Parts: sequence; C-alpha cells; structure tokens
Amino acid sequence: MIFFENVCKFILSDLSIHIPQGKSLGLIGPSGSGKTTFLKLACGLLRPESGSVHTMRLIPEKNRRELSDMTGTFFVDIPFFQGNDTVESNFRDLKIIYRMRDDIFDKEYHALAEQLGFRSFEKETVKQLSLGQRRRAEIGATLLNRPKLLLLDEPAEGLDQTAKDSLREILKERRSEGTTVVISSHNMEEISAICERIALLDHGVLRYYGEKEHLLKNFAPYEMMEISFSGKIPDMEDLPLKSYSLNQNKLKLTYNSNYVTSAELLRHILAQTTITAVNTHKSGLSDAVSRIEKGENYELY
Amino acid sequence: MISLYPYFAFAKKSFLGRSAYRFDHFMGILNTILRIFIFWEIYRALYGGRAEVDGVTITMVATNFILSLGLDSVFCVNDYYLPNRIQDGSIATEMLLPVNFHGRMLADNLGNALFQLLFHFVPAVAISVIFIGIAAPADPLMLILFFLSALFGYGVLWTISFVAQMLSFWLINVWSIMTIKNVFINVLSGSMIPLWFMPDWMSGIIRFTPFSSIYFTPVQIYLGQLSLSEILQGFLIQLFWIVFLFSAGMFLWKKGQKKLVVQGG
Repeated sequence: MIFFENVCKFILSDLSIHIPQGKSLGLIGPSGSGKTTFLKLACGLLRPESGSVHTMRLIPEKNRRELSDMTGTFFVDIPFFQGNDTVESNFRDLKIIYRMRDDIFDKEYHALAEQLGFRSFEKETVKQLSLGQRRRAEIGATLLNRPKLLLLDEPAEGLDQTAKDSLREILKERRSEGTTVVISSHNMEEISAICERIALLDHGVLRYYGEKEHLLKNFAPYEMMEISFSGKIPDMEDLPLKSYSLNQNKLKLTYNSNYVTSAELLRHILAQTTITAVNTHKSGLSDAVSRIEKGENYELY
Repeated sequence: MISLYPYFAFAKKSFLGRSAYRFDHFMGILNTILRIFIFWEIYRALYGGRAEVDGVTITMVATNFILSLGLDSVFCVNDYYLPNRIQDGSIATEMLLPVNFHGRMLADNLGNALFQLLFHFVPAVAISVIFIGIAAPADPLMLILFFLSALFGYGVLWTISFVAQMLSFWLINVWSIMTIKNVFINVLSGSMIPLWFMPDWMSGIIRFTPFSSIYFTPVQIYLGQLSLSEILQGFLIQLFWIVFLFSAGMFLWKKGQKKLVVQGG
C-alpha cells in the first residue's frame, strides 16, 4: 500500500519501509522526528529529496488527484474546512467533490455526525466552533467517502474523551473492513488500542518497525506483581526475578515476562501460602518507546 | 475522464448562495446605479450642453458607462480565492481533493457572475436606460456579438485575476498587487474614462494591453463602431489574452505547487 525506498526529506534520512494493505500502523516518536513529513510524503504534499515513495503503486506527488479519491488525510496543522461556511455546507461540498450519491452521502454523514457528535453544531459556521468541535467535524470529513487508506496526523489532539473513544471505535471498524490506517500520535494508549504495527522514528531514523506485540516483548518485557498473602512467607529462591521486596504480608515482584510468566509465579507461591489479593501491572508501549529513545538494547532471552 | 458534474454543482451552489444575502444584493444594485448616475452627471457637466466632443456624443458616453459599469457588476472575480487559502494553509487540503482547483475557482465565480447578470445587471441597466437613455444596438447581430465579446471580456478579466492570485505563493500579502491591478483595470479598460478621450499615444499603448479587451471592445461592438473584420480581430485579441494569461497563470501555479512540495510551505 505504501512503499518508501531510501527516502530523504528534511529530517527523514534514508528511510525504507513497506506498509502492506489492510494493516494499521502507529507512527510514533518524539516531536520533530519526521512523523508529519512521512505522512505528507505518503499523500504527495511533499516531494522526496532522494529515494522514492509509492502509495497504492502511484507516485503520490505526481498523482495526488487519483490518490485523493481513495485516501483520507488529516493534518493537525492544516485547516480542512472553509471558515465562513457551515459544517453541513462544507460536507455538502465534499459530497460534490467525491461525487457521492444522495442516499450514500446521507447515510455516511448522519452516521458520522452521530458517532463523532457534530450534529448539534452542523448549522454553525466553522469559524464559530471551538478547536475540539472543529476537529470532530474535520475527522468526520476525512472518513466521509470511506477511503481505502487513512493518513491521520495526531487525529485525537483537541478531542474530548468521548470523541476520542468514538474515533477509536470508528477506526477499529474501518480497519476490520480492510482500510489501511496510518496514525501519528504521541498518545501511546490510542496507538496501542488501534494499531497492530508500530514504526518508531527518532530524529528521522526508523528505530523500530514491526508488530506491536514484538515491540512489547522485546522492549517492555517487565511486569510487576503485588501479592497479599496470609500464612508463611513464600520461598522465592531460584526464580528469575528482577526485584523482590517484602512489606509485612505484601510481596512486590518485578520480573521479565520472557523468562517467567505470572501464572508460573502464582503457582509457585500458592504451593507455599494462601494468596488473598493480586495486582499486576504490565509495561506498555510508552515504556518500550522510552527504552528505545534512551538507546537501551534489545532484551535478550 | 474528467467529469464536469462537480463544477456545475459548485456553480449552482455559488448562484444559489448569493440569493441568501438579499440586503447586500439590493445595496449592490443601488451602488451600480449611483456610480452610473454620478459618472453621467460629471460627463454632462464636462460636455457643458454640447451634443458631442471630438465626434463622441453624450449618448455614446452614457452607453459606455451603463454597459461598462453594468458588466463590471457581473464581472465580479474573487481576487482572494487562492490567497486566502494560502494564508490559512488550506491550499494543502485543496491539493488533496479530487477536483481541479482552478476549475472549482472558475465555477464559483461563474455561478456568482450568472446571478449578477440576471439579478444585478438587468435591473441596474433597465433603471439607467429609463432615466438616462442608451443608444440602441447597431443591429441585432451586434447585440449578439456584444454578449459574445462580453463573455470573452470576462475571460480576460478572470485570467488577469488568476495570474495576480498566483503571486500569493511568493508574497505574504497580495493586497497591494490587487489594488494596482484594479487601478489599471479601472483606468485602462475605459470604464471610468472612455478610451475615445485618451490621447493617441496612450490609446496606442493601451491597445497592447489586455485591459481594453475587457469592457471597451464589447461596447464598441454594441455601438457598431467596428467592422466585421475589426470585430473578428477584437475577438482574436481577446482570445490571445485569455490563452496567454491562463498559460502564464498555469506556469505560476505549477511553480507555486512545486515550491509547496519541495519546501513544505
């Protein structure tokens, strides 16, 4: 679906990546790492200084119009609508532009207006709206013609929690229908919930690209478990723990889940004492990213 | 295959959109009528009761004002269609839409112009004809050729604006460019000062600019001042300017787009 080969542009340096059709990719990395540049190259708003970019087998910069029928793009820094027109009027312009049939437009528009919650202000001019309201409508506009590819730059910025949840649900639904989704975000929770693949950019260099599960396994393998028990203190000898602390009848264990699973630990402790409560905490995407950004190496196992 | 549906739809939307601003519309008609009457009074005073000056009758002058200023109300091109989009960054969104940007710009302007022709030009000219009077068209054929020439005149005006708007890719503010352009159009097109009154050396220069093709050529055709071969020549000059200016505008558009995709803004 998207193919970059040795691409250099601004901070992006010798970037090669292939995003297959139907995959959902989370583009993450610190500010200024080249995420927006990547998305602008993919949709043809930028031309690579060297290397080649292909989106749906087309050179985006030369085939923007052909691509735009099949691609929904949202950039946080680019206004989508004309400010003097109402939200509804802007959507009707898009109906004309995408040559949508009346019944299809009505169905899609009403569904998005309900899901993203812009029905209540559809008659207001865009310039009267708050940032969050405008974002909701703009994201709706990006999704209107059910594009095969979604390129979304920080789509949740400015959205309230309800709208974020709705967006997440819509994107999951679109993903399950085979839409390729590429999202750049600083919100790891959002990326984690939507994307199956992760690309980590750091100062224009691709530091990681692969399955999310693989990233977590390699860069965030640590889990923490708090166990309350009654009875004798369990013997934890010979277990591959990273740390172990005991405070009255509470055990706090940190361990590498690649070496030992929480089930194995619990079985070991249950054989020796009575467990009254268990709390576990798994490292997430943000821990993995933080480790990569700090330059920590792969955890060997 | 290029579908014309979106462009017709945008023209229709622009046409219908104008009917929403009724007060604004009536004030526009009043403005055109007032301008015609002011010019009429000024020239009547300058003529000082004479029927003609240098072979130009007061009726010819009135006809020039009424038709030029009437057409001026129809030829309303939004000079800030592109500059506004470049300034707020939404040009990038436009570049990612599956419609031709300048096609959409033209459709928007044509819808507006058609509305103005029916509901501004017709009433304003009718009122002026009743109270001031106008020369009759030389013959029915000339009336038809007048409208054809006026259509080409609109093309010339639109392409001048098209070129001026393209400069917004390189200029932060195009207000001064637009002001200069409008001054040139007002003075050199013959709508304020009929080109009959220009000294020979100046009208010679003006003939090499696109401005006289906007209003003055159609007015001359209406008054029957041009022979058929001169009319054909006038049409060719109008078409030359449309093609030349549009090509120049497209050249700048491509350069501007390249600037955006290479520099990123």
